[in-house]
Amino acid sequence: MRRIRLLIVALLVVFLAGTGASTAGTAPVRVRFVSLAWQKTAVEAVKEVVTAWNRTNPAIQVDYAQVDWGAIHDYMLTSFQTGNVPDVFHYESIPILDFAKRGFLTDLSPMIPAEMRADIFPGAWQTVLSEGGKIYAVPYLWESLIIIYNKKLFKDAGITPPTIEKPWTWDDLQKAAKTLTKDLNGDGRTDQFGAAMGLRSPVTRVLNLSIAFGGNYFYRQGGRDVVLVGEAERALLSIIMNMMYVDKTLSLDSLGRGSPELIPGFLAGKYAMLPGIGVWARQGLVESAPADFEWGVLPPLKAKTQYQGSATQTLSIPTAAKNKEAAWKFIQFALSRENMAKQALGDWLFPTRQSSIRLSGFTTTKYGWDVSTDSVRFLRMATWQKVLGYNEWRTRLATPLMNELFANRISVDEFARRLAEGSAEILDRYR
Amino acid sequence: MRMAMTLAAPTRRRATTLLLLVPLAAYIIFLAFPLLWLTSTSFKRPNEILVLRPTVIPKAPTLENYREVLGPGGVVRASLNTMKVAVASAVLALAIALPAAYALARKQSRLNKAIIGWILVSQSFPSILIIVPLFLILARFSLANSHLGLILVYVVWSLPFVLWILHGFVKGLPNELEEAAAVDGASFPQILFRILMPLLLPGLATTLLYAFVNAWNEFFFALVVLKDPQLMTVQVSLSRFRGLEGLARWGPLAAGSVIATVPAMAAFAFLQRRLVSGLLSGGVKN
Repeated sequence: MRRIRLLIVALLVVFLAGTGASTAGTAPVRVRFVSLAWQKTAVEAVKEVVTAWNRTNPAIQVDYAQVDWGAIHDYMLTSFQTGNVPDVFHYESIPILDFAKRGFLTDLSPMIPAEMRADIFPGAWQTVLSEGGKIYAVPYLWESLIIIYNKKLFKDAGITPPTIEKPWTWDDLQKAAKTLTKDLNGDGRTDQFGAAMGLRSPVTRVLNLSIAFGGNYFYRQGGRDVVLVGEAERALLSIIMNMMYVDKTLSLDSLGRGSPELIPGFLAGKYAMLPGIGVWARQGLVESAPADFEWGVLPPLKAKTQYQGSATQTLSIPTAAKNKEAAWKFIQFALSRENMAKQALGDWLFPTRQSSIRLSGFTTTKYGWDVSTDSVRFLRMATWQKVLGYNEWRTRLATPLMNELFANRISVDEFARRLAEGSAEILDRYR
Repeated sequence: MRMAMTLAAPTRRRATTLLLLVPLAAYIIFLAFPLLWLTSTSFKRPNEILVLRPTVIPKAPTLENYREVLGPGGVVRASLNTMKVAVASAVLALAIALPAAYALARKQSRLNKAIIGWILVSQSFPSILIIVPLFLILARFSLANSHLGLILVYVVWSLPFVLWILHGFVKGLPNELEEAAAVDGASFPQILFRILMPLLLPGLATTLLYAFVNAWNEFFFALVVLKDPQLMTVQVSLSRFRGLEGLARWGPLAAGSVIATVPAMAAFAFLQRRLVSGLLSGGVKN
């Protein structure tokens, strides 16, 4: 009996202590943050930022969750539909504009301070700017397509790499590729190719690089988007076809492979250059390359210009978010000069803040950062980024056609004709 | 002559056995190779994975990948979560499906035929179609972001197939067995648990395994229903190592996958004897 009494008293004490605790202190506001960072260093950088925030802001605690790039679209769509949304989420500029149109996102433009507006590159803001000047996402990471080259193979062939001041043209690249393409054992087959380019999903890469030739593919005519494949659009396609099937300096391994899948061949000396590879792929190189393997980065090739298209990675707040004010405070902290730089370095990408990109981590010669970072001044928002129906156009029409072209089953002329014909049918549905 | 024949017979048998063993060995290698490759990759550093000619045996084996996935926030908690959800959903699905399968198999009517037809049709619904209404129902009952909610989703998702398979098993049991037991004075529960259940064991094991593996491997529902990282299942946890353009952190992904494969393999090993059918042989005299 005595034991039972003691137990009841103990339970009462625990209960009262529990209720006392819940009424005496105020529970912190919880901000759910979904991040897409996946590389080890990138995840560490994000966690560092979240930990620093939670340590210094006991009233607003951020709960970090990681979702992968392959699942984020469905994850966010179902979150929007069910109302169970994260307070802050990481994604990229292209789908963000579509989400904004459907009313899923909070307009951040009244909250963005003048300092942030002025510091982030105008080109990066362009990628998230909606009609009426509304901004539904803060762009914080972006990337360029670079050329990675094998220093030893260049040296052996007597080729001097171009500099930022004197960049190569596409003609120069083709000439160098010819010199670098070799049959090393004399069996009549090429063992070393001048270049390889990931062409498994070629459309966005080709469109981004075509901007340097003045080729936009998408044009506004009579208030609607139309696709035109003129000389400027054909230029890069012809170069790739020429390198693959006439000069035979671009390895046919390019077909059906993504850029990262070409890295093993690059490290084995099978390809001397990897043009059009994402700047982030350098991390894979650093992790995989033998200690004595020397590689470098070449500046963007010059056509009419050195411009290239780029999307940005962003942070947004859903309309249905419970703690918008707290979420915005966290975004400001996460995208401060130092924190943005930390996350960009962790992901091997560029920060969109001009003050961040001037930090030493991005200007060092190590791992080709200096040359890579210089390419930021050529980044532009490509017209396709704001075309309604682009995703369907890319997957249903442009990708199969481009695959046929690069497999040498159709000519550039036929590609141009069929692309222009098929585009109207798809794009008109989105008007 | 007779001696020669007796010698030739075992030799022929041995040759036949050998001939059968070769394709069998090839088949086993074919089946086991992905697992072997996965295990090999899990012990490699990145500089051994992204090479033109990778080797099966790691040149400089490392436990770094296992250290990472077994560390804080790794796959151990996620595996335990998945085990809880998978076992509970498989058992629950079976508990619901067994009586339903019995009723559908033994009571022939138009309605039952329509139900069987509907079960088949329901298999063709894509998960994306039902996830939003399902989530809203779960949220209404405060079951979103909980393992119980996910268990219910998995039960609903695997029930049609489990029911369909069990229905076939029950239908395959001869009525005469039940009639004979009834003549001997057995009550209905006795017939069900003492006569039919032992004969249904292969079917129960098969469906239990199906429901378990289905829940163990499921990704999308878990991603949408569970928002708290502490509740995460193993498939969602492994997806953290996947990146862009087909790139992934192959070492930790392989190590996590090896760990994630173990429970499913253990379940197979545990239930495989039950999977062998033929328990019915001798049950009825023809």
